[in-house]
Amino acid sequence: MVQTINKDLVNPVGKSVPKIDGKGIVTGQIKYVFDVSLPNMLVGKMLRSPHAHARILSIDTSKAEKLSGVKAIVTAKDTHLIKFGSNEYFFPHTVDQLPLEDEKVRYIGDEIGAVAAVDEETAEEALKLIDIKYEVLPAVFDMEEAMKPGAPAIHEAMNNIAVILPVNFGNVDRAFKESDYIREDIFRTQPAAHCSMEPHVCVGQWETFSNKVTLWSSSQAPFKCREALAKCLKMDLNDVRVIKLAVGGGFGSKLEMMPMDFAACVLSHKSGGLPVKITYTREEEFSFSRRKHPMIYKIKSGIKKDGTIMAITGEVIADGGAYCSYGPTVIAAAIMRIFMVYKIKNFRISGYRVYTNNPISGAIRGFGGVQSGFAIESHIDMLAKGIGMDPMEFRLRNATDPNMVTINKMYLTSNGLKECITKAAAAADWKNKYSKMRNQCRGIGIAVAADVMGSKMYKSHESAGSIVKVEEDGSVYLFTGAADTGQGANTALSQIAAQELGVSYSRIRCKSGDTEITPFDTGSFASRVTFISGNATKRAATDAKKQILNVVAEEYKLNPEDLDIIAERVIHKKDSSVLLNFDKALDLCYSFNYGRQIIGRGSYNPKTTPVDFRTAEGNVSGSYGFEAQIAEVEVDKETGHVRIIKMWDAHDIGKAINPQGVIGQIEGSIAMGIGYSLYEDLKFKNGRVVNANFANYRLPKAIGMPEIETILIETIDPEGPFGAKGMGEASLLPTSAAIANAIEDAVGIRVKELPMTPDKILKALKEKEQTTPQTATESQQ
Amino acid sequence: MIFHVNHKTYEVDLVGHETLLEVLRDKLGLTGTKTSCMESECGACTVMIGGKGILSCITLAANVAGEPITTIEGLADGENLHPVQQAFLDYGAAQCGFCIPGMIMASTALLTQNPHPTREEMEYALDGNICRCTGYLKIFEALREAGDKMSQLKAPRESALYQYIPAVSSTP
Repeated sequence: MVQTINKDLVNPVGKSVPKIDGKGIVTGQIKYVFDVSLPNMLVGKMLRSPHAHARILSIDTSKAEKLSGVKAIVTAKDTHLIKFGSNEYFFPHTVDQLPLEDEKVRYIGDEIGAVAAVDEETAEEALKLIDIKYEVLPAVFDMEEAMKPGAPAIHEAMNNIAVILPVNFGNVDRAFKESDYIREDIFRTQPAAHCSMEPHVCVGQWETFSNKVTLWSSSQAPFKCREALAKCLKMDLNDVRVIKLAVGGGFGSKLEMMPMDFAACVLSHKSGGLPVKITYTREEEFSFSRRKHPMIYKIKSGIKKDGTIMAITGEVIADGGAYCSYGPTVIAAAIMRIFMVYKIKNFRISGYRVYTNNPISGAIRGFGGVQSGFAIESHIDMLAKGIGMDPMEFRLRNATDPNMVTINKMYLTSNGLKECITKAAAAADWKNKYSKMRNQCRGIGIAVAADVMGSKMYKSHESAGSIVKVEEDGSVYLFTGAADTGQGANTALSQIAAQELGVSYSRIRCKSGDTEITPFDTGSFASRVTFISGNATKRAATDAKKQILNVVAEEYKLNPEDLDIIAERVIHKKDSSVLLNFDKALDLCYSFNYGRQIIGRGSYNPKTTPVDFRTAEGNVSGSYGFEAQIAEVEVDKETGHVRIIKMWDAHDIGKAINPQGVIGQIEGSIAMGIGYSLYEDLKFKNGRVVNANFANYRLPKAIGMPEIETILIETIDPEGPFGAKGMGEASLLPTSAAIANAIEDAVGIRVKELPMTPDKILKALKEKEQTTPQTATESQQ
Repeated sequence: MIFHVNHKTYEVDLVGHETLLEVLRDKLGLTGTKTSCMESECGACTVMIGGKGILSCITLAANVAGEPITTIEGLADGENLHPVQQAFLDYGAAQCGFCIPGMIMASTALLTQNPHPTREEMEYALDGNICRCTGYLKIFEALREAGDKMSQLKAPRESALYQYIPAVSSTP
């Protein structure tokens, strides 16, 4: 019998139960890969290019090998020279990075080799002793320069354009002719960093007798990591084991196998099977992990006098840096998200994902949606203003509806977007505030967003699997391949398992993200875990419950279909009368007569269709989440400082499995969004990050965090587990535009470049004064 | 040298330049204390010395030998969580948890001196602790609750009763 069954925690779905690993966190007992220490463990360090673009002529490691304490050195010659990438299925030509480069380096920090030594000092000393001869090549750092004929060729792609994505629907030329108001804007967004508090860290250990390898990695997607690792190591999937422990945040940066993961394994092999740990410093984290794609977003739209959007055209250019990483999908998402939000019939935007000699741009929370959200939602506000319409009403007029098919064949089923807009507006007192606070330099701005839950952009399937094992003593083990990175996946999935099985949440233990033990799962990205892994978990719990009820029915000579387990009791469905309690049912299953192990299994693959990247058509996700966000700001005209007074966020999450966890995700997203909007900016000089530390890369801190009011809209999705949808990324998408729109409402300036720093605000204020010295709106009030 | 950590006494051989963080994590195996930057910018390495929060990544271990050091592992009273730990758990103030040991130690240091801080006082006290997940609001809620609990607690916790633990290996 399980020692303590907390009766308060039966029917846990919809309750703010504590995190399943929460006690471990608050006592410091939970283990991250950062904390892993194994006997005789070596310290690994990556050997990196000091040049942004150069040909490798020779590598001489002989001096370093002789240094006392050095146990292994690897370079490309120790590898199979197999490239990896993130979107082999749809864009095979974007598989462009070698774990260790052999002929050419393409950014400052490009990995050439690695060293394992007895301690960090020795490893660093050894790196200095490796003699590499380069032929330095001309480099290009500006995305528009890189696209020009004659620019240095970084890969073989013509004009350095790795991916062109032309998205074209309807007849935009005719629609522009029918428009009453047309405007065109250009927006620019900055490179930014993920800043997960646990840096990238891994420990690789080779079993020399069996030629198997285990990698402990701070990963958001252990199975993706295993896939790339096995490919590059030329091994079977089952000979590579990737284990994640507690993960100290990822935000997209830990979605891929990194060269360090590969290097740790090969170093361990070369050092005779000693474990090798590689930990990024904060400087490496900022300079050489992944960064947010800087984008130039050109957008032109035509609308009717009544506010109907007629046509949208434009061009998106993304600085991808040296390799493709998740670039193809990021550019696709930056263009296609708008179809979930607005009813659009005529559309033509082309996306260009461009190579430069900057560090690699990759996946980051929001996946292109933060950049496009800023551009589109700022532009929408200006369109509304152009015809004198309230921007909130303008959005309501064009918002998508439930049960509709978008022009690119996305199936929007449950859709609370309009409710999000009206509820957020009501909570923020929009009608009484919009355009009415300018005399105090205060303003209010709205922006909306939608997000997927899972993304049919990678593989032939994106299924998740779960196992629910009920032990003799009534304790329940949930095995999921999903990767909790701190967002609370293990907690939400455990709640789903407990609810479906009909037991208290306190019975559940959760084991996640070990490729040798847990079922397959593509990982934590695209806000997919609650929806996809949640459905798999629910199915596994249903299966386990059926197995228990079959035994009970057999014993009592009843029909199992007539029974159910609810709140720790086996009941008759027809009148809810109690037959026996859960523990007694378990005693029966594991009794002398029956001896039946209860092992439920579940697999779920969402009902999607792959995106056809030639037409941008496809139902990329099994359901879609929606939200509206409002910012109230005050602008100091003397200093250019923007103070955020309050934010409101109304979010259609289908059903909140854990309301506290949901609100935590929203608050965290908004904090991150405020950082990206106002100050976070990864600065470069000739391809080198110049502010690679927390002192010079400013993050949102405790001082000045505004109040956030969240409104959860439960639309009960027909496909989601208990009606739940994914969330966690959507709240980041509208924040920049909501703030930009509020700034315009406050002081009448439009900032089209992120971050909206005081100098940009002051410059815009000055420009405005020069153009309209007497007629500024606020002076009239 | 002698270190008093979490009411236990350890004898540690030092080369001399070790930081307190290195002693805690690498020599005593107390890996609850984290670091995210190694240069005093993130606050994840915060521990308490005599009720005051300090950054262990820039504290020379030799300088604090003999002083009463408390880390995240020493905050709970047996199985009973400290009110700050309990409040962080109850209010969902932890997500990935990597900053949380430092955040809890900084919070405990604040509430020990000032059980009812204003929001502004909380913001200033925790401004040196970076959290990328939560947006800080749930942490402020947890502090409000924990402060109330701490001021209600009548009996002060048992003072330091050091038990001697033989030397911990400290080969450089």
